[in-house]
Amino acid sequence: MLNRLLRASPYIVLLICAMYLYHLATQFDYTAPPGRIGPDAWPKLILVMLGAVCVCEIVKNLLVGESFTASGMLDKLMQDAGAEEEEANRPGYPLRLWAGIGLTVVYTLLMDTLGFFVASSAYLALFMIIGQYTRWRVIAAASVLGSLAIMFIFMKIVYVSLPLGVGPFKVVSIALLAVMGVR
Amino acid sequence: MEIIAGLGAGFLEVFQPMNMFVMVIGLVLGMLVAVLPGLTLVMGVVLALPFTYSMGLLPSIILLTAMYVSGTYGGAFTSILFRIPGEPIDVPLLWDGYAMARKGRPAKALGWTLCAALGGGLISATVMVFLSHPVAKFALTLSSPEYFAILIFGMASVVSLGGGSISNAFISLFLGLLIATVGVDSIYGTERFAFGVPFLQDGIEYLLVMVGAYGLGEVFQRLEKGFRGEEKLMGADQEIVTEFPTASEIGQLKGTFFRSSILGIIVGIIPGAGATIASFVAYGAESQYGKRRKEMGSGIAEGIVAPQTAATSSVGGALIPLLTMGIPGSGATAIILGAFLLHGVQPGPQIFVSSGPMVYAIFASLFVSIIGMCILGYFAIKPLVKVLDMPEPVVSAFVVMFCFIGAFAARNNLSDLYVITAFGILGYLFDKFKFPIAPLVLGSILGPLAESSFMTMMVSENNDWTVLIARPVSATVMVLAVIALVYPIHRQLRERRATRANKP
Repeated sequence: MLNRLLRASPYIVLLICAMYLYHLATQFDYTAPPGRIGPDAWPKLILVMLGAVCVCEIVKNLLVGESFTASGMLDKLMQDAGAEEEEANRPGYPLRLWAGIGLTVVYTLLMDTLGFFVASSAYLALFMIIGQYTRWRVIAAASVLGSLAIMFIFMKIVYVSLPLGVGPFKVVSIALLAVMGVR
Repeated sequence: MEIIAGLGAGFLEVFQPMNMFVMVIGLVLGMLVAVLPGLTLVMGVVLALPFTYSMGLLPSIILLTAMYVSGTYGGAFTSILFRIPGEPIDVPLLWDGYAMARKGRPAKALGWTLCAALGGGLISATVMVFLSHPVAKFALTLSSPEYFAILIFGMASVVSLGGGSISNAFISLFLGLLIATVGVDSIYGTERFAFGVPFLQDGIEYLLVMVGAYGLGEVFQRLEKGFRGEEKLMGADQEIVTEFPTASEIGQLKGTFFRSSILGIIVGIIPGAGATIASFVAYGAESQYGKRRKEMGSGIAEGIVAPQTAATSSVGGALIPLLTMGIPGSGATAIILGAFLLHGVQPGPQIFVSSGPMVYAIFASLFVSIIGMCILGYFAIKPLVKVLDMPEPVVSAFVVMFCFIGAFAARNNLSDLYVITAFGILGYLFDKFKFPIAPLVLGSILGPLAESSFMTMMVSENNDWTVLIARPVSATVMVLAVIALVYPIHRQLRERRATRANKP
């Protein structure tokens, strides 16, 4: 039973979300001309279909205990070719994954404060280390020179205004831009 | 005659130095991303997008199209030589391409691949040129029920042809459609699912969904599975040359070339299918109907020509619905659509009227790209293969960086970075729980189109949805959509019953 519940759990969560969003859709604030459908019609239609698929999967997995599921053509072709077996059998490293995700979240949060160059140099170096790369000189060179090159290309050639940071970090960014000839 | 004249002018435009320069860059980048196992073709095209922000529309489309076409070819090198398929497209090349290389004829295998890419590419480009104009004219006659039915067919084919289970693909598609509803609705100005968050009120750009789910999500998956080490590849020191097949050898395979090209174009036109399915389907067709079907898998030329021809010819096919109806059929064409929209041009039935010379220049660029790709593949194969030596953690770190810049640069908005991080995590979770990503992305792209044609249809037909099955064109398309959905379920249930019946 626990196994069945585990299989059904993503669909139960999705069904609850769909019901909540449907409730929100009933409260959209609008004035439609008489006899004309409103902005809630399309989302409600999608949510009803989403809910219906979830109910089918819940019934199938939880009540009937049926594990059969029809798959898309590409899935079938790849299965027949055994193309994904090797990938699937590789051991996982969840710690690296969560470290990588955590680092990415911190990077996005600190980008505005640290500025693109400082934040990106640190991010690149730490990401390579999390990915188990150990050539320290390559890490240092790739992260610093890579960030500088990207900053130069996007600010000088593509004209994208990357974040400069605040306080001392802004000073560093402006100094680097001045050296690169970016105004 | 009009088409030939337009194409001639298109060639003149393409041969401008700037256009040629970006094309070469696109071809090289496309091959590089196809060779590197950590980078997919779609991801590569996503990463190139921010570089197009400061370019004109034509060079942007030339760059992305060149990447798209050469991405269907570059991975063949590593599949044949090292048994490393850079892309799922190249998996069928392992069976005969690698087998031929193992028999001591890697140069010949590479030669067949080159001929297949060239032949398939040129045939599909020619078909695209002559088919696009009539398709656009036909599309002009369609009204909202027909257009809505076509979109439903597109979504149905994405679900039935893609990866993952069909129910999970449906869920993924519905989530994509829901994402497209976030923000202020364009007809009534009503705020939907924004939860009072300012950046959600502007809506979620599908490019962010795409960059996050495809780019970041893929990097997170690979991070968890562990990046490839720096082990030396078997056979990396061998001399890499390409040996062309003779004219008579090519003549013997003309049936395979023709069959696979047509299959590739048809599969390319169908939304959600793309080069990978084209490659597998063509290989399957050759195994069933080819002259030497019993020898398939033993290292014969047909097993190389069929998948490669179909993969490259799917590009021309995929560009037809994109240009003539504004419907992207694959991840790569969705990004090309994004580049069009970023430059204020909406592809669709009117495109020949509003931007005819540019469309012909795009057609011409595809011809030149295909020839350039083969020249590059012939002369630069050795340095291209060398990129496999690049450490994956370094490449992946830069992929993430370009994802962030691509997301940020579109609107210069830091909030977009949070959005792509969220979609990166969602992309990882989708993979983990076996939900396909393609329907999510295509749902977020087709969502606004589908909603506007649905609303227009309901308003013009007094809320009578049965118009979908009452008009001949829309009814036919709806029947095709139902077949697309029901057929794989029916086939797999039948196979399952047969397997059960055969069990003692």
